Amino acid sequence: MIARVLGRLGPGARADGIWRRVEQTGVSFEAGRLKAAGASEEAGINLRVLRAGDKRVGFAGSTAVDEGGLQSVVTRALQSAELGEPLELAFPGPAPLSSLAIFDAAAAAAPLTRLVEIGQRVVERLQREGRQVNVGVQREIGECTVGNTAGADGSYAYTRVAVSADVTRIGGDDVLMVYDMFHAAALPDAVELDALIGSIEARLALAEPVVESPEGALPVIFTPAGLGVILLPLEQALSGKAVLQGISPLAGKTGERVFDERLSLIDDPCAPGRPGSRPLDDEGVVSQRLALVEQGRVRQFIYDLETAARAGQSSTGHGERGIFGKPAIGYSNLIVGGDAARDAGRGTRREAGLGGGLLAGLDDGLIVDDLIGVGQGNVISGAFSHPVGLAYRVRKGEVVGRVKNAAVAGDVYELLKRIGGFGNDGRWLGSRWSPSILLDGVSVTRR
Amino acid sequence: LKDRLTDALKRSRSDYAEIRLEHTWSSSVAFRGRRLESATAALDQGGCVRVLNRGHGWGIASFTSVEQLPAMIARADELSRVVRLAEPIQLVEVAPHSADVELDLDGDVRGVPLSEKKRLLEAYNGEMLAVSDRVVDTQAVYRDEVSEYWYINSEGSLLRQLRPEVVVSGVAIARRNGNIEKGLESVGLRRGWNSAQQLAGKFRVVAERAVQLLDAERVKGGTYPVILDQELGGVFIHEAFGHLSEADFVYENPQAREMMTLGRRFGRPVLNVGDNGAASGLRGTLPFDDEGVPTQDTPLIREGVLVGRLHSRETAAKLGERPTGNARAISFRHAPIVRMTNTYIAPGHGTLDDLLRGIDLGVYACGAFGGQTMLENFSFTAAYGYMIRNGRIAELVKDVVLAGNLFETLDQIDHIAGDFQWNQMGGGCGKGGQFPLPVTEGAPHVRIERALIGGDVTA
Repeated sequence: MIARVLGRLGPGARADGIWRRVEQTGVSFEAGRLKAAGASEEAGINLRVLRAGDKRVGFAGSTAVDEGGLQSVVTRALQSAELGEPLELAFPGPAPLSSLAIFDAAAAAAPLTRLVEIGQRVVERLQREGRQVNVGVQREIGECTVGNTAGADGSYAYTRVAVSADVTRIGGDDVLMVYDMFHAAALPDAVELDALIGSIEARLALAEPVVESPEGALPVIFTPAGLGVILLPLEQALSGKAVLQGISPLAGKTGERVFDERLSLIDDPCAPGRPGSRPLDDEGVVSQRLALVEQGRVRQFIYDLETAARAGQSSTGHGERGIFGKPAIGYSNLIVGGDAARDAGRGTRREAGLGGGLLAGLDDGLIVDDLIGVGQGNVISGAFSHPVGLAYRVRKGEVVGRVKNAAVAGDVYELLKRIGGFGNDGRWLGSRWSPSILLDGVSVTRR
Repeated sequence: LKDRLTDALKRSRSDYAEIRLEHTWSSSVAFRGRRLESATAALDQGGCVRVLNRGHGWGIASFTSVEQLPAMIARADELSRVVRLAEPIQLVEVAPHSADVELDLDGDVRGVPLSEKKRLLEAYNGEMLAVSDRVVDTQAVYRDEVSEYWYINSEGSLLRQLRPEVVVSGVAIARRNGNIEKGLESVGLRRGWNSAQQLAGKFRVVAERAVQLLDAERVKGGTYPVILDQELGGVFIHEAFGHLSEADFVYENPQAREMMTLGRRFGRPVLNVGDNGAASGLRGTLPFDDEGVPTQDTPLIREGVLVGRLHSRETAAKLGERPTGNARAISFRHAPIVRMTNTYIAPGHGTLDDLLRGIDLGVYACGAFGGQTMLENFSFTAAYGYMIRNGRIAELVKDVVLAGNLFETLDQIDHIAGDFQWNQMGGGCGKGGQFPLPVTEGAPHVRIERALIGGDVTA
């Protein structure tokens, strides 16, 4: 498909494109009952052209992939290039791709009834009087081809399976919502389903009673699910685009110790069986594991082709593109931690309680599992302030109950200078692997 | 196309079937700093078939290859039959509608050359960059679309709509050493090219605010009397109450139904809230929802008391209430679910000055970076704020994030001004994996007697 589109361009034109076809099948259980089954199919193409001569760059995308649709993509990409900026873009040439375990034949072949069975099992185990249990099971089969006029031509297929479960428990005016998700290339085995159910049950079990929140600058354990607020500013700051635009607080600090020396961040597009993995990125650059932060030092920013070209850098293989728009910088799988991060990726979830064993020694503090409104605000500055969605109070090393009507705030760059500890509960959550992390001096306010 | 849809539907074996088809033409321009990111036009097309069989559940098939429609109708039927249900899904009765509605295109964006759109946005982006050397980065985005939308169901509804949309947004980042601040404004309307004009002033304000915030202190955390401006007031009611009024949250949950019993008091008599999908030209406005039900103005809270909720045909049937036209899908890629349209707090009386009077120490929270709800508890993030001291607006403060609680915060609203305004922002609402859904919110200035603002406790 890509070759057919590239062939339509005039001589001397340079271009790259992606063709993607995705098939999704899913079932959803609402309030414990199977209510709907759905299937979707989507195919589309995204094209970038560099005009011969003036090297102006243009983009176009379409979900119409018949003859007329393909011609229209080429025409629109060239029109877009008439207005585009000149760009010295070096497309990657052909390269051998490593084979990654991201396509699971059993998952691809699983009939709908198998997905129903999985959902049914989760529902049965979570269902109790007074709980509303919603479960979704979704299987995705994708094919993707990336190609360019420099000869790169990579194709791969993948499967993705997601089992999501949420439990809502309402008692009077108290609304408790607990959610978790299994996400991988293959169907979950019994151990993985146990882990999903166990994680939800553990959080439900500790949710009573509701206790008053402490107040002040306190130690807070951010669980793997609650850690997003801490990582989001770093993800933005480690993007080459933020560096190029002059808004990254980490720009110019390569090699400098900015964080606690036990903090490491690794981007790993080759992690086996993970939905964020791919043999090459959406611009044809071969995938490689990359240390972004090592022992608290900034090592590397991530780049796509255009940002790299403008910044005088090389692409790190982090070009991401949809059917519409232009490629942009995106992470694959982010692995967070201390020493544990090094052998993560193969890490399955260990049997660990909420808080990952970090409670001992906590006289008074919180476990934060979910915050409300993460990503809204002036994220890249590192400052955050959010009401808690799901949080627990810890006193003298024990969880004493759930906390509501409280808010946590702080500055990520200050807090990460000194990490109180990493939990023993490292796990995948979507495309991120991390343990719980204990940070001291988080501002906690309550109503 | 009409005949193809009618023929395809006739072949359905299901007890109930509906087809949505969309053909969307869109274009977008984006500037980042001084550079054009892209100027491009796109074509998106596809459809969704949704069917129901007695004794079975929903079968849903969505697709981009429109020529596959007959196969997709069969596929949806198969999917439905996999789902066995003891208690059948009922749909509330709605009279079938036939209509061909071309919404006001307001300067058809398809007739405007991309180069002209680029010129317009370049000028807006330039307004931000010209404000100060402190403005180190900008993001200016223009996006428009015209979608030809078809809906047909086996009960005799046949609708065609031509739906326009235009969104213009600006972000400015100001920096002084390690201090990085952000300004944000957007305009989103179910209109066209004409409504994207004359926004230079708005873009200037974005950059000026980012620069001013460099000198602002972070708000000190704690509980305060808080006044919300119209924009944040709108986001507040969307998060604080709008999502709770979506009937899919309560219809399968007896405890939730009890909590949200019609007639329950949620606020003081000053509080009136509604959702109006039929308001003119707003982003959440459409003549019919994605089940072919006409949209309407639905009162949700009247004088502080819960009087209504938002429905799909399924939730209305289950709760024995009237349909409201709130089943919406972001595109053919999804089945419709219960969503808001244009949600508002109705105007009361008086002005901002009346609300300020009597507040010794409080916060005036303005603009919106966003909001999110977990139903009982929710957040709404102001773009900026001011301290209120001795009844007057005092110094600018930053990082103003409010922590709300459904049962406490609504009841703390003690004064609503008369200066109502629709927000007309870009962005959108997310739910059930469907984001961004075009919605609008509206409100006057609103005073909350006591609200929790997160922040540093040691400052």
